[in-house]
Amino acid sequence: MSEIKISRRVLIGSMAYLVTACALPTSEIKSIQLQKVKLDGQYFNAQQLTLLTDVAEIMIPKTNTPGATDANVIAVLDAMMLTWAGKKTKQQFNFCINQISQIAKNTFSAYYTEITLSDRRALIEQLDANSFAQTDTELSASYRKLKKIIFHIFYTSEEANPDFILVPGGYKGSLTKTELDEINKRGYLG
Amino acid sequence: MSQVYDVIVVGSGITGGWAAKEFCEKGFKTLVIERGRNVEHRGSEYTDMQAPWEIQNRNLLEESLEEEDRYSNIRGKGYFKKATQQFFTDDKEHPISYPEDKPFKWVRSYQLGGRSVTWGRQVLRWGPKDFEANAKDGHGVPWPIGYDDLAPWYDYVESFIGVSANKDGLDVLPDGVFQKPWEMSAAEKVISQNLKKKYTDRHLIIGRAANITEPTQEQMELGRGKCQARSYCKRGCSFGGYFSSLSATLPAAKRTGNLDLVTDAIVYSVDYDETTGKAKGVTVIDTNTKEKRSYQARVVFLCASALASIQILLNSKSKTFPNGIANSSGTVGHYIMDHFTGVIANGDVPGVEDKYGYGRRPIATYIPNYRHEQKDGVDFIRGYGYQATAQQRSNTGTHAQKIGIGAEVKDNSNQPSNWRFLALMYGEMLPYFENHARLHPTKKDQWGIPLLHIDAELKQNERNMIKQASVDIKEILEVGGCQDIKINETPEDQHIQIGDRIHEMGGACMGDDPKVSVLNKWSQSHDVPNLFVTDGACMSSCATQNPSLTYMAITARAADYAAKLLASNTL
Repeated sequence: MSEIKISRRVLIGSMAYLVTACALPTSEIKSIQLQKVKLDGQYFNAQQLTLLTDVAEIMIPKTNTPGATDANVIAVLDAMMLTWAGKKTKQQFNFCINQISQIAKNTFSAYYTEITLSDRRALIEQLDANSFAQTDTELSASYRKLKKIIFHIFYTSEEANPDFILVPGGYKGSLTKTELDEINKRGYLG
Repeated sequence: MSQVYDVIVVGSGITGGWAAKEFCEKGFKTLVIERGRNVEHRGSEYTDMQAPWEIQNRNLLEESLEEEDRYSNIRGKGYFKKATQQFFTDDKEHPISYPEDKPFKWVRSYQLGGRSVTWGRQVLRWGPKDFEANAKDGHGVPWPIGYDDLAPWYDYVESFIGVSANKDGLDVLPDGVFQKPWEMSAAEKVISQNLKKKYTDRHLIIGRAANITEPTQEQMELGRGKCQARSYCKRGCSFGGYFSSLSATLPAAKRTGNLDLVTDAIVYSVDYDETTGKAKGVTVIDTNTKEKRSYQARVVFLCASALASIQILLNSKSKTFPNGIANSSGTVGHYIMDHFTGVIANGDVPGVEDKYGYGRRPIATYIPNYRHEQKDGVDFIRGYGYQATAQQRSNTGTHAQKIGIGAEVKDNSNQPSNWRFLALMYGEMLPYFENHARLHPTKKDQWGIPLLHIDAELKQNERNMIKQASVDIKEILEVGGCQDIKINETPEDQHIQIGDRIHEMGGACMGDDPKVSVLNKWSQSHDVPNLFVTDGACMSSCATQNPSLTYMAITARAADYAAKLLASNTL
């Protein structure tokens, strides 16, 4: 019975998230600029999804181009936890989420989801710096793995690849920028 | 389905497809036997119409594969992704054997079409010197054919498959029947032109691709269209833009009405008739039921891929051939070769910063072998070429695996950067008798077939090539105008896996002398006249060029010869 449930969940993950990439239902806590996820996902619970969504957006924020939230990075990751992630990765991501929560408590005496955006940003920036400066800790390995998959999902998203052309129609190897922009706008070599 | 045929073709890959097409078109009832599953051209297994965000797991393979040590021989390879996984074989399910200190890599594709679905599509003729090499320096078995024997068959094959290439006028890489070539990038043109100023023997040319740019009437009738420069070839191509058995030869064979096709059937043995002294057919094992059954034919063509054909030959034991059919010489399984690389070089190409690339060209550039003659005091024979490319500008990348997050990092990611040229050495491995494949005495696969034990390694000649190739490519890049040149040379004490280039050859070499070779100049067994082997096993040396075009030409030539014998009832 549990196998059937898992299969259905995987199917839902593949269809709903990996293909159409539905957004997670959220509500904004305006005072601290946090998107709170309302429902549990397929793998992560709502609290974990809230933290991950925030971390991903801090890593890849919306600027004049889409950010991680626009690209539904964490919704896709949640589905991929069932279809891609191995045992070690699951442990690492759970560990990383717990550690980020613990660092917030130790540093700010509050839950991660209660501190200001500037404090959250400072926390993740520091964690990023530490993780690449000292790579032999469990937290470093877990964080770097999480960062790598967040970036991978973002940079393979439709939102991050507005100029992607599935069927270029030909190859040109010596174009000016103007010529390239014209072809990209047209969407085919022509 | 009839159990008696004119011809049985074992394997449906690049040579099996050709044998099937040739015999069917000549009117012979032909059975193709494929050990893998059926795959439909443009069917559900093709993933070429999926954008990056549509591919399952964003094109990442399940981590469970690593946890369970599956696909261990190709995990981490750039060509092995979620979008292509279905076209590669799990070595855990299909093990091979090799000495612990000499791991061998046998990359396989067990499905209809075989590795023709995922091949590199670089189609390069061999030159006259390549066929003369064994006789000249005494290594391996002298080739019983020369370039002139094969030239018309190269023409014939190229006309059908479609080759986009430039007529470069090089003796070492003869021109052929070509469609419009792919364009070089601005950076590649700079290097090519600079090399012309300095060298008479070292050329950077555009690769020769089995991707069609000007479809012929025949190609269009088979449902093939112009290559759309997507470079998703290893996912299958819904346009039929590149040549494969699925897109071209099997459809051509099917439309004759003379083709029967059996999938999910492993050829266990070629069955020998002691009375007639000929092969009477093959025995297969159904991969699903594991039941044996037999098919009979007047001619058997082994096109299962070099190592698979060797395995079949060695496993086909009889009173006359206790060590495997067609093995009176004792050389079946010997002279295993592959191309090898040991040098990767790259460098920036300045002066073209205002130029950009568009599209995904399906082929690299190429520097053909310029060291056929032993000159400049080098301490090796034969030579090497380089597969190379600078088809797109590099970009700044992302910070996925380095410090930095936030808006500034994001906005600076994936921005156009410099043009960078990359070159990969492809060396010719000598045919060494001691590099061999044999049946394992005790280990068997799940169908009860003895595992192939492959014992092959590079020797000093190849190691010396690597050292010189490293020196050469540095000079070539400097002459080409590159800056910030980086050379990566494999240390001499590091094992280089044979099979890694997926160009394994030899094991049933052609030669004039039946005492030292398995096949004659028609790829016909010296011992068993109605048995032919026309895949990579028949190769007596490996040259430096990608070999598939030569396999196809040899197959078409052998099929023509066998068909004439069949027609005259002299086989």
